[in-house]
Amino acid sequence: MQNAKDSFYMALRARLAAINPDRTVLLRGSVRPGILVEEAEAPFNQLPNDVFVLRWLGLGTDLELASTMAAEECEIVYHTCGTQTFGGLDRGRSLGAMDDELVAMLQPFHTPKLSYTQTPPAAMLTQVFWDEPAFTPIVTQRDLIGRSAKLMVYSYQEQGE
Amino acid sequence: MLADALLRSLAGTTALLRVTGTNTSTSQSEVGLVATTFADVVISPVVMRKLRPSWQDAGQSKWELLVSATGVGQQVSALDLASAQSLFAMTLAVTVAGQDFLIESIAANEAFGQVYLYRLLLREARPQAV
Repeated sequence: MQNAKDSFYMALRARLAAINPDRTVLLRGSVRPGILVEEAEAPFNQLPNDVFVLRWLGLGTDLELASTMAAEECEIVYHTCGTQTFGGLDRGRSLGAMDDELVAMLQPFHTPKLSYTQTPPAAMLTQVFWDEPAFTPIVTQRDLIGRSAKLMVYSYQEQGE
Repeated sequence: MLADALLRSLAGTTALLRVTGTNTSTSQSEVGLVATTFADVVISPVVMRKLRPSWQDAGQSKWELLVSATGVGQQVSALDLASAQSLFAMTLAVTVAGQDFLIESIAANEAFGQVYLYRLLLREARPQAV
């Protein structure tokens, strides 16, 4: 499933860079598109604002098929305080913009599965695909508003995985 | 300078900030495949004190690290960083006397508009696999 997780993240990262090149994050000394995998970064005492954070949750497998299918639940968490220009009064609009970006990032609902253990990444035989996101209600913490979206990411286990 | 003298008089010791280097191979490092390059930044004088025990946060002890602003300033200049906040943002862990800690929050004490002491709230890091 690791190749599917990596491919899913890299697909979203590339799509975000195309949709909104201005959404970036300075992390570990490099400026990157504003999306990260929580489990592959240093522990956060507070998640960064205006960034999409991928968090991997449940795992299920279907062994009845010709090829084993694995499904992993992904939660994409994001929040914002709005912009300084508007004194944070545009935080609702900023969150709405992130909602739109996330919906755009997730389409099309599939991407080729690649193995990132090699450089350049090696293409595998199958695709990674996912279903539509289920958005949670907005959570407000004083000047911070945010929400998350959950979706299932599916892939077939290939030989050697 | 007075803060440094006070920290030294309170058995001031040395802390190591494990900071990350800039990676060029981003695609692999972003998914946890390639270890980032690390560097240990030495800060001194510092004083460590244990905070009042609490039953929260799964019973992990919390500590406060009092860090000399002069020591931080020297490292900020040496690493050519914009500010002390940049240095702390790059820090993965703080090592004091061989024990690793994670930074929970950072506060600064100022006098006459100048920072003389940083107070880092730390939590003991869980041991990692070798």
